[in-house]
Amino acid sequence: MNGKDLARALAAATCTLLGATEEAKAAEEPTWNLDTALLMYKESDSRVQDVSAAILASRNFADDRILGLTLTADTLTGASASGATALDRPQTFTSPSGRATYTTPAGRVPLDDTFKDTRFAVSGSWTQPLARLYTVSAGLGFSSEYDYRHFGANAQLARDFNKRNTTTSLSVAWSKDDVDPVGGAPLPLSQMLDVGSNANKSGSRSKNGLDAVFGVSQVLDRNTVVRLNYSYSRANGYLNDPYKLLSVVDAATGDTVARTPGPTGGPDGVYLFESRPDSRTKQSIYGELKRNLGGVVLSGSYRYLWDDWGITSHTLEARLRWPLGGGYLEPVVRWYTQSEADFYRISLVRGQPLPAYASADFRLGRFDATTLGLKYGHELSDGREWTVRLENYQQNGSTPSSALTGRQAQRDTFADLHAIILQFGYRFGL
Amino acid sequence: MSCPCEVLVDDCPERTAREVLQIAATEALRIERKFSRYREDNIVHQINTAEGRTVDLDDETSRLIDFAANLTAASEGAFDLTSGILRKAWRFDGGDQVPDESTIRELMTRAGWNRVEWDRPRLTLEPGMQIDFGGIGKEYAVDRAVRLLAAAQPGLGVLVNLGGDLAIGGVRVANRPWTVGIESTRRPDEAIQTVPVRAGGLATSGDSRRFVLRDGRRFSHVLDARTGWPVANAPHSITVLGRTCTEAGTLTTLALLKGSDAQPFLTATGSRFWLQ
Repeated sequence: MNGKDLARALAAATCTLLGATEEAKAAEEPTWNLDTALLMYKESDSRVQDVSAAILASRNFADDRILGLTLTADTLTGASASGATALDRPQTFTSPSGRATYTTPAGRVPLDDTFKDTRFAVSGSWTQPLARLYTVSAGLGFSSEYDYRHFGANAQLARDFNKRNTTTSLSVAWSKDDVDPVGGAPLPLSQMLDVGSNANKSGSRSKNGLDAVFGVSQVLDRNTVVRLNYSYSRANGYLNDPYKLLSVVDAATGDTVARTPGPTGGPDGVYLFESRPDSRTKQSIYGELKRNLGGVVLSGSYRYLWDDWGITSHTLEARLRWPLGGGYLEPVVRWYTQSEADFYRISLVRGQPLPAYASADFRLGRFDATTLGLKYGHELSDGREWTVRLENYQQNGSTPSSALTGRQAQRDTFADLHAIILQFGYRFGL
Repeated sequence: MSCPCEVLVDDCPERTAREVLQIAATEALRIERKFSRYREDNIVHQINTAEGRTVDLDDETSRLIDFAANLTAASEGAFDLTSGILRKAWRFDGGDQVPDESTIRELMTRAGWNRVEWDRPRLTLEPGMQIDFGGIGKEYAVDRAVRLLAAAQPGLGVLVNLGGDLAIGGVRVANRPWTVGIESTRRPDEAIQTVPVRAGGLATSGDSRRFVLRDGRRFSHVLDARTGWPVANAPHSITVLGRTCTEAGTLTTLALLKGSDAQPFLTATGSRFWLQ
């Protein structure tokens, strides 16, 4: 009798012996564990909309060695605030390509709707134990979109102490990004020109990033885990957003200074491209406490971040994981607040000396954001699980009245943002 | 069972853990009492001292006999419940003492499933013959304990380990696997490899200290019931991952009986295995 037949005969004999009623399960860990997710992010007022699909595949090898692969594709459409201020009249801009114009209606925060992109990202990582108490992991990542390419490499070393109740880890990541803006990278603080004139734009730019995270996690008791991280991040190179603008306004009225477009068409106001420093250092500390209260897991976290652009931010998050039937329900509340960058301006004022750096990108302004979310996960047999997550994001900016000029005080000077996030996930083994 | 035994239980209240331990220990001890050949108050003793008389077996013992008879057929006689008697001639102490041919021939007249009359539930052995559940009893106890625990605490993640033969029941929190180490034969207490396992059973056979060396050949302690001789050139140790501990344990025994062909045999069964 050959091995295969014998194995079959044996399986049958074992079932009879043990009175097995259920179908025998696969004995081993699946070769591949796949986590798939489809995420939809939609901002109100038909602004940015992002649909992204991701597959996370991990393969466990013997001796706790793990191979991880991630594949992501996302499509971004819609419009985002350009940085120009709202006016009581329509405003016309030259599109980033320099080949056409677009017009924003009166009274509305100008949005650049030429924005459309598809991004692909792949990354891989390898994790394995090193000696008895160490775990080492290393990874590479690459992503590409129409005007942007990213390459990153990272490494992490973790060590367990204290009967594995304490784990410390140090991770370092390096990245290089190339920006190849549509129409070329504009000269910082140069004026938006007429259609067909790209004299102030040229080629591509790049930046480098270096990130390091030192973390400690500590098991306090059977039900409590605490984690502390310190992160350091430095970026050098081209840190501008090549599509962001600042309006140049009249010191008395606060209205954008008018400009007469040339015969090819062009902006009907004076707009300058933004200018940011060519380096940024961010640091943050993060603390998280996770506690199991008889099956219900409560976790709370806080992050404090500061950088040398003058931004400080606080993030508070609370999450509850509530077992429910064959799954769990997980409500989350997140509150975020940040101060503005030193060079953040609503607009520039005509007649005043130009600062070295200026940006009206709302992401560098002062704002608060609240996220309310709910996730439901349902666990199936063999480690399969599906999840659905819905989140509501509301961001509200505020500009101190001292920063406003003339009639700006009566207008919407900050692009408030509302977004809905819906995600479906399915995890399974192969 | 003179071996370290343990029950690992996933996150649960202490009371549940104690109950689980109690159930597993009670079942393991019950099976040992019932099927140990070193006791005089059990069914095995009754069979081995029947001297040709027919013994009526209870349902559980009948099922074990059926299982063993199936294996004997499947292994073409290499596996045999009655081959234990051959141990009288062999001493696996790492030396080179080999019994003489006549001793083995004499013992072989008292071994072999073909001399047994099995008409469930009636078992008749020829006088002088004995049976020994040593090859499957421990693995059976592991699987039985896991099954009882599944009934008492449905779904709770448990791992029952009786001296290295183990099986997993239920599902751990977040469906995490158990990490099982394959013990090194050269350096005891050290794992040659650790494997994440979520379900099934794992068993190991072979012993680096129990063998006979003869004419440069190394004979393992597993005896081929057809020849009365141990199998030559078998791996030192075979570990198999199966759907149950009994299945895994049986495969390790059958593989050892294949000697140097253990590896192709196990590959053909489609099971995951480790040889040392």
